[in-house]
Amino acid sequence: MSGGGPCLEVHEPGLLATVQDGGRPGLGALGITRGGAADPDALAVANLLLGNVPDAAALELTLAGAIVGARRAVTLSLAGADLGARVHETGRAVSTGSTFHLAQGETLAFEGGVPPERGRRAGCRAYLALPGGIDVPGVLGGRGTALGAGFGGVEGRALRAGDVLAAEADDALAAAAHRPGTHWTSTMPSLDDVPLRVLPGPHVGLLGAGTLAALAATRWTVAQASDRIGLRLSGDPLPGARPQELASHGVLAGTVQVPSDGRPIVLLVDHQPTGGYPVVAVVIAADRASLGQLSPGDAVAFLIVDEAAARAAAKDLHAAREAALAALHEAAAWDALWHGAGG
Amino acid sequence: MPPADAAILPFGDDAVLADLRQPAGIRAARRAQALARAIGALRAGDPRLGAPVPGAASVLVPFDPSATDTGEVTRLLAPLLAALPADPPPPSDAREHVILVRYGGEDGPDLAGVATATGLGEDEVIDLHAGTTYEVLFLGFGPGFAYLGELPDALALPRLATPRTRVPGGSVAIADRLTAAYPATSPGGWRLLGRTDVALFDPAVDPPVLLRPGDRVRFTPR
Repeated sequence: MSGGGPCLEVHEPGLLATVQDGGRPGLGALGITRGGAADPDALAVANLLLGNVPDAAALELTLAGAIVGARRAVTLSLAGADLGARVHETGRAVSTGSTFHLAQGETLAFEGGVPPERGRRAGCRAYLALPGGIDVPGVLGGRGTALGAGFGGVEGRALRAGDVLAAEADDALAAAAHRPGTHWTSTMPSLDDVPLRVLPGPHVGLLGAGTLAALAATRWTVAQASDRIGLRLSGDPLPGARPQELASHGVLAGTVQVPSDGRPIVLLVDHQPTGGYPVVAVVIAADRASLGQLSPGDAVAFLIVDEAAARAAAKDLHAAREAALAALHEAAAWDALWHGAGG
Repeated sequence: MPPADAAILPFGDDAVLADLRQPAGIRAARRAQALARAIGALRAGDPRLGAPVPGAASVLVPFDPSATDTGEVTRLLAPLLAALPADPPPPSDAREHVILVRYGGEDGPDLAGVATATGLGEDEVIDLHAGTTYEVLFLGFGPGFAYLGELPDALALPRLATPRTRVPGGSVAIADRLTAAYPATSPGGWRLLGRTDVALFDPAVDPPVLLRPGDRVRFTPR
């Protein structure tokens, strides 16, 4: 694969911009958390639109304020939350779930604050994919930025003005896969404004069944002190909270912990690999990407389900992605035929 | 069957928690490590299982939910839990480390407070901390952060009521019956006795962490 070289310059990082990929699974025993994109489903959509592998490294942007400029003509794709992306020079809006073209010298600005459709949440993270993925060194089996420990991505830190990102591949790959203007046909479930489905956690017996029932019965709000490590929820404190921590045990993204103040914490991708708070519930795998789209002030509700429902949800998600991918390939094939006929 | 006191608990739709249900300490940690090793061996022939994460007295075992489920993984793990010795030895490849520490002063801003709270002199606190050989119980908190046990009872104090927003990397600290060295600058609530220059985590080195479960560690004043 020929490298794409420097193609995007960060003019403004916005609230938080990092390079993220599918994370580093399997290193918890060394104290190293999985990390990666906070909304892995949106990362996958951005990458698949360009013909990349689903977990290639892309740019994760948060809420508003990011501005990036094209060092050369480049085809990009955008997925995740609608953060009001617009090509500054032409005023052209770029919709989430699509591929698009930037001419050399054009800039893409994320103006933020787009009201969602009915039944959707606004979301807070968008993913901008480059042809072949972002070319940064692999560290410990991943290219994503581990912000807490300071490695991976660009120098182990959040991006700042002046950083230049190179693409793994030139535009030929993306152009061959999907032309600019291609759209992802299914909605992104991580943006659906529906309750987060949970399975009862390992410490329900210890906390008492009333704690789990209260978790599901309470309307929660995402508190200000929330980030890629975890979502703190405000609402009436849960009964059964314990003053003492348990012996530290392994945890995963989606773990719903009950600290001593009774206000639950839902762990996100940058969580510590072990924790000592009792676990009242665990968000099912199919709904974990949604956690990465919740931001302070959002309403959150939990729905208790069983393992069969969790399994069905995972199958549905997989089927929806396969269907959207098939539609994409079909569109690309028609497109190639059309252009071939004209040429 | 697992011993009556241990249990394999559901942890979402893609993991289980094997909980040894015994007090945290060297014995519990050695059992958790031994169980994690046994699961690692099973995993070599069964890719449905993910890499186990040992804790103080438990092992978290992720699995591929598209290939198996909680019930089947519980049945796979139950014989390993049942066969787990009551007091397994540390791993045969465990290593010994001597870590040089500058105790007190700016490097150990809580040394005087620990002396006051324990009714000991500062020198006695250092002698007790440096006079004990510790074992790596498990890793967590951050990359390369090794929980070391067990701290002498005379030094056991709770965490600070208000954690520091910034603990310098290399800080050597205590909390309850544990001690540790912070691999990187981070927030933290442990009491800081001193500081070391040893690199505890380097992502460019294989393995990236200096201290691994079962390793033995001594601190020496410099």
